[in-house]
Amino acid sequence: MTYWERLKPIRLRFLLLLTVVGPGIITANVDNDAGGITTYSVAGAHYGYSLLWMMPLVALALIIVQEMSARLGVVTGKGLADLIRESMGVRTTALIIIIMLIANLANTVSEFAGVAASMEIFGVSKYISVPLVAVSVWLLIVKGSYKSVERLFLVASSLYLTYVVSGVLANPPWHEVLRAAVTPSFHFDAGYVTIFVTIIGTTIAPWMQFYQQAAIADKGLMVADYAYEWLDVVVGSVFAVFVAAFIVIACSATLFTHGLRVETAKDAAVALGPLAGEYASILFALGLLNASVFSAAILPLSTAYVVCEAFGWESGINRSFKDAPVFFSIYTALIVLGAAIILLPIKSLVQAMLDSQTLNGVLLPVILIVMLRLINDKRLMGNFVNGRIFNIVAWAMVIILIVLTIILIITTIFPNFLG
Amino acid sequence: MAYLSDLMGKPVVDIEGERIGYLKDIIVAVRGEMPHPEVVAILVERPGNTLEIPLSHIAVLVAPAISLTRHLAEIVPYEPGMYDLYLARDVLDKQIIDINGVRVVRVNDLELARVNGHFYMANVDIGNLGLLRRLGLAKLIQTVASYFGRKLSPGIISWHDVELLPGNQPIRLRVPGDKIAELHPADLAEIISDLTRAEGGKLLESLDVKTVADTLEEVEPDFQASLVESMPDEKVADVLEEMSPDAAADLLAELPKDRSQELLNLMEYKEAEDVRKLLAYPVDLAGGIMNTEFVAIGPNLTAEQTISVLREAAPHAETIFYIYVVDKDNQLLGVFSLRDLMLAKPSESVNNFMHKRVVTVNLLDSQEDVAQVVAKYNLLAVPVVDDQNYLHGIVTADDALDKIIPTAWKKRLPRLYH
Repeated sequence: MTYWERLKPIRLRFLLLLTVVGPGIITANVDNDAGGITTYSVAGAHYGYSLLWMMPLVALALIIVQEMSARLGVVTGKGLADLIRESMGVRTTALIIIIMLIANLANTVSEFAGVAASMEIFGVSKYISVPLVAVSVWLLIVKGSYKSVERLFLVASSLYLTYVVSGVLANPPWHEVLRAAVTPSFHFDAGYVTIFVTIIGTTIAPWMQFYQQAAIADKGLMVADYAYEWLDVVVGSVFAVFVAAFIVIACSATLFTHGLRVETAKDAAVALGPLAGEYASILFALGLLNASVFSAAILPLSTAYVVCEAFGWESGINRSFKDAPVFFSIYTALIVLGAAIILLPIKSLVQAMLDSQTLNGVLLPVILIVMLRLINDKRLMGNFVNGRIFNIVAWAMVIILIVLTIILIITTIFPNFLG
Repeated sequence: MAYLSDLMGKPVVDIEGERIGYLKDIIVAVRGEMPHPEVVAILVERPGNTLEIPLSHIAVLVAPAISLTRHLAEIVPYEPGMYDLYLARDVLDKQIIDINGVRVVRVNDLELARVNGHFYMANVDIGNLGLLRRLGLAKLIQTVASYFGRKLSPGIISWHDVELLPGNQPIRLRVPGDKIAELHPADLAEIISDLTRAEGGKLLESLDVKTVADTLEEVEPDFQASLVESMPDEKVADVLEEMSPDAAADLLAELPKDRSQELLNLMEYKEAEDVRKLLAYPVDLAGGIMNTEFVAIGPNLTAEQTISVLREAAPHAETIFYIYVVDKDNQLLGVFSLRDLMLAKPSESVNNFMHKRVVTVNLLDSQEDVAQVVAKYNLLAVPVVDDQNYLHGIVTADDALDKIIPTAWKKRLPRLYH
C-alpha cells in the first residue's frame, strides 16, 4: 500500500468536511471587500478605538443573520430569491431585486475602485489595472470553471491575515484597545452616525444572504449537515469581524494617533508606511487587491444568478448567450459598468464606495424583515422556525437598524439636526 | 379565458351585493382521467379568517366583483379533498417541469378556460408577458415594443404538458410522475440538473426504481451521491441492483464508507458481489470502470448452441456484440463478434471461428490506456484480464471514452457554486 492510499481515509474525511464547509467562510471572506476595508480604515483613522466596542455586537448580528440564511437554505433547499418569489409574489420580488441590483452595482463599482487604489500603490495606473482585471474576471468565470476560481480565492483569503499582521506591526497600546472594545459610546453627529450605519451595512451586506443561501442550496446541504454548516457560519463570521477589527486597530494606532485624516484605503495604506513600516503598507495594499478582485469576481455572478432565479430565466455560465441572454447581459453589464464608472473622471472614488456601503445599511432592514417572515413560516420551515428568544433578539436588531437608518437620513438632510 | 392574477384580490359579494371578502385563491380538483383540473371552489379572505366557497354558490366568477347566489349565512363551506390543488399557493410562482421543452420553468400566471359552464385550469403562462402583467406593466411595455415594431410573445404552455415538482405538491396527486417517467433518462437528468439538489432528490424519489437507475447513470457520480443522500437505504439498494455494476460501484465510491457498506449488505448477494469486486480497484483504472456483466462461453459449443445461450444471457449483459470464450478456469481463450456468429455454420464449433489473438487490457491499466486501445482497434468493448490472463470483466467504449469525451450532460454540471 502506498502512502497515498494509506492516507485515503483521512483524505476522504477532509474532503467531506470541505464539501460542507465553504458557503459561510467564503461569504464572510468576500464580506471584507474593498468597500469594507475602506470603511474600517476610515472608521479607525477618524474615530480611533472608540468604535471598537461595536465589533463584537456586529459579529453577533452577522451570526444571527447568516445563521437564519443557512437554516432557510438547509431546510427548504432553495435560494433566498426563490423563496421570496414563491412566498411573496412578483411585486415584492421585483422591488427587492431592483434595489439589490442597484446596491450590487454600487458594490461592484467599489470593488473596482479597490483594484484601482491598490494597484496605484504599486505604481500601476488605473487605466491599465481596472480594464485588465475586468476582462480577466469575465474570462475566468465564463471560460474557466467557477470551482477552481473559488478554491484559488479560498486559499488567497489567508491574505486577510495580513491585516492582522499590519495591526500588530502598528504596535497599538493593547490595554487601551481592550478597554475600548468593551466600553460603548455614541455621538450624535452626522459623520459618526454615517460611519456607524456604514460599518453595519458593509459587514452585514444584503447580497451575503442571497449568496450564502444559494451556495447552500446548490451544494445540496441538508438538515443533517446543519451542525457543520452552523460551524461554517460562526467561524466565517467571527473571522470576518476579527479581521475588520484589526483594520480599525491598525489605522487607529497609526493614523488616528498622529491626527492624519484619510479618505481612502489607499491613503491608509500609503500613510501606514512611514508610521508602521514599509511591510505594513505593502501587506495592507495586497490585502486590498485580493479582496477587490475576489469580490469583483463573485458579486456580478451571484447577482445575475439571483435575478434569473427570481424570475425563472435561464441561467448558468455553461450556457450560450442565446440560451441565457438575461443572465449574460446582467453579468457582463455589472462588470462593464463597474469598471467604466471608476475610469470616468469622477472626483471622489471613495465616495462611491462609502455610499454603496451606506446603501447596504439602509437595505438591510428590508431584507431582514423578509427573512424573518420566511423563517417563521411553519409551512415552509416546520419545526425549524425561530424560537421566541431568537425572534425577540432578531426583531430588536431590525428595530435598531431602522432607527439608525432614520437618524442617518435625517442627519444627511439636516446636517445640523443633532447639533 | 381569465388569468388567475386578474382574479386574485377581486372583491367577493353576496346576493345582495354586500362585500364579504376578497378572492385569495382558486381550488381545483385533480382527477387522474382528466387532462385539465376543474375549478371546484374559491378561497375568500375575510377579516380574521378565510372561507372556502364551492363553485355552485358562485353566480359570476369572471367579473369585476365575484358575486354569490346566496347570503353569507347560507354558505355551506367547501371541504377540501385529498386531490385538491390551491392554485396560488401550490402552483403560481413555483417551478414546474415543461415536459415538451424538457426544462424547469417558473409559473408567471395561470389561465382558466370556461367550457360548458365549467371552469378548467387550461394553460400555464411562463413568459415575460405574464410577468409584466402581474407588475401592471404589460400594456405599457407592449406599447413601447410595438412602437419599435416588435411584439412580445406570450410563452404559454398547456397544463397537459407540465408536471408539478413533488416538493410543491400537498400530497401525492397521482401515480408518481407518469409524464416524467416517459422522458428519456438523459432528458430527466437534464431536468434534475436544473433543480437544486434537494428538489432534484425529491423528484427522483417519486420515480420508480428502474427510472431512477437509468437517470442516475446519466449523471456524474458526485452528483448521483448527493441525489441519493436523502433516499431511504432500501430504495437506494434496489436502484443499485438495477444499475450496471460499474455505475453502481462508481456511485458507492462517492458515498461515505459506512453507508456504502450498509447498502451493499442490503443488496442481493450476487449483485453486491459484482460491485464489491469493482470497488476493490480505483475508479480511474480498468478494474474500476469495468463491467462484470458480459457473455462468456466454453470452447466446445457450436454456433447454434451459442445462440441459444446468448438468448438466455442477453437480458443481463451489458453488451452482446462480443462473446468471450474461456476455459473452465475462466482463462481467456478467444473472442468472436455477433457478426462472426451469424456468419458461422450452425454446427461449427466456436473453437474454429473465434479469434485467438485477443486485444485485452490489464486490471491495473489506466483509463486513458483503455481508451487508447478501444480507439486504436475500433472496439465496442475490450476484455479486462489479470496477469494470468483470467477474464475479470469488460470495459465498454462509452465508459472508456468517458474521460476523454465527457457525457454531454457533464459539460453542464459546473454551475455556480460547486
